Amino acid sequence: MSNTIKRSNLFVWLLDPLQPTADRADARYRFAWSPSAWLLPLGIGVAALVISAVGWVTDPEQFYFSYLIGWTFCISLALGGLFFVMIQHLTSARWSVVVRRIPEALIWSFPLLAVLGIPVLFGMHDLYHWTHHELFDPASASYDPVIAGKEAYLNIPFFLGRLAFYFIAWSYISYRLYTLSILQDIEPDPSIPKAQRRVSAWGLAVTAITTSFASFDILMSLDPHWFSTIFGVYFFAGSFMAIMAFIALIAMTLQKAGMLTGVVTTEHYQDLGKFLFGFVVFWAYIAFSQYMLIWYANLPEETIFFRRRLENGWEVSSGILLFGHFVIPFIVLLSRPAKRLLPVLAFMCVWMLVMHWFDFHWIAMPVLHEQATFHLLDFTTWIGLFGVFLGVVIYRLSRHSLVPEHDPRLAESLQFTNT
Amino acid sequence: MLKEVASEIKATMGVYESRDDELYGMLAEFTDPGALHDAARSVREAGYRRFDTHSPFPIHGMDKAMGMGNSKVGYITLAGGLIGLALAWWLQWWTGAVDYPINISGKPFFAIEPSIPIMFELTVLFAATAAVVGMFVMNGLPRYYCPLFNSKRFMRVTDDAFFLHIAASDGRFDPEGTEKFLRELGAVAIEIIHDREDPEQTGG
Repeated sequence: MSNTIKRSNLFVWLLDPLQPTADRADARYRFAWSPSAWLLPLGIGVAALVISAVGWVTDPEQFYFSYLIGWTFCISLALGGLFFVMIQHLTSARWSVVVRRIPEALIWSFPLLAVLGIPVLFGMHDLYHWTHHELFDPASASYDPVIAGKEAYLNIPFFLGRLAFYFIAWSYISYRLYTLSILQDIEPDPSIPKAQRRVSAWGLAVTAITTSFASFDILMSLDPHWFSTIFGVYFFAGSFMAIMAFIALIAMTLQKAGMLTGVVTTEHYQDLGKFLFGFVVFWAYIAFSQYMLIWYANLPEETIFFRRRLENGWEVSSGILLFGHFVIPFIVLLSRPAKRLLPVLAFMCVWMLVMHWFDFHWIAMPVLHEQATFHLLDFTTWIGLFGVFLGVVIYRLSRHSLVPEHDPRLAESLQFTNT
Repeated sequence: MLKEVASEIKATMGVYESRDDELYGMLAEFTDPGALHDAARSVREAGYRRFDTHSPFPIHGMDKAMGMGNSKVGYITLAGGLIGLALAWWLQWWTGAVDYPINISGKPFFAIEPSIPIMFELTVLFAATAAVVGMFVMNGLPRYYCPLFNSKRFMRVTDDAFFLHIAASDGRFDPEGTEKFLRELGAVAIEIIHDREDPEQTGG
């Protein structure tokens, strides 16, 4: 890397490992807001996290669950972005080149998310029932033979080792994809697309497996008796749906400020809308597959998951999830005009991001509360973590070209039309 | 009256009726896809409604140039899907709970959970079938005979020639005016098509 130099300052490296290259970008791909625009979402996020810190002192158990939901929401967006970028490289996709820099700026969030995951480690005793030693002690009154049988997998050192492995793997793949793309802006070396494809090929396999196990570890083990082998796919389906909404919203926001004019067009938004619709359906397909098998087999250790979520007020959440995450967006996004009318698409993108968070709330919160509740901390931790996350994404976008301007398929992407 | 409605409906499928004097329409050949595309737009703008374009491959933007609007097949597909959904629901309920109820490990005779896969499959099956059948109907297919086949020149349409055809049943059609208009648009050859076997017609 001759022209781009790595930052030595560890704090900045966490936000962006590369020096700014925006001043060398083509004028129409430049970031038009003030370079400190990223401080606004970051400031809101930090303020919300400070408010949440009060909750940490007064109600730590609630704080940990709320924080875990917000943290998982950000991880799932970053993973969705990672999947998206790799699939675009592997398929040599043309349509998506003009919007690819947005998820590329997103994926270097993993090191920061690992740092933001530290509170979860402090809360492990409250979050994860299987961390309680007495469950594994046959002499103890609360000995749990089922959980004791899972000791080889559900133990703290292995859990921490797995989390470390996931974050190192995701960060490394992201680093490669991010730096290769920025490097291409400066030195359009013809070997770069091949290198991007090579990283994506093994990266996709590694990310698919680690995402699946990460969803088992972070979310599914909240209820250590329950298990569902399709859970990783369920997590992926929601994540990939959410990243489409996120990309479309960021692109629309940038365009509102006069950036990317004539670069991202209705045609690209329609494709993002198609993906959004497709993964709304895929999520429902996977969610139903999980539900139906458990309904049919009718085994107590599996049905308990849905039983808990179908009584004491949680049935309202389940209903909102069914209609809000599938039925309503299915009907609205089905037609072609809805995907091409930007106000409608923007509304549905915000809607789906909220439902994506709601989905995690529905998975995690019934573990803590038998009665359905929404706590203020659910929202402050979510806004806090998402604000910080969004701030650093905008920070990276502001430092580089908004489009991978020397990608060999950019010209085709600019002219792309749906037939 | 009924005949006019039928003729109108057939015209939307691209099936045009010939006039009483067996005049079917006028076929104009263009040199390249771009010329055909521009000609289609001009013909549309001149007020012609019963015309069609023929080319060896799909031409990007042709539907817009011809003023075709969005395909209606999507609505037919939706209707097919809804019928499939309702039919599957009824099938599951009637076979399971009415006609032949069997107690299988204490499960309800009819429940929505195990019925959803069948509802999903029949929705897809009926929607897909409706889409294909709808596409055929909207295109007036299958169609075994078309007077355009009487033209020798027209045989090249699957190879390297680009044609625009204006039906004689179009309100604005008149043999001299239309021919002049097509010449102005850059047609390299113009042919009158009759709806009859014509061994003398060699094209040109």
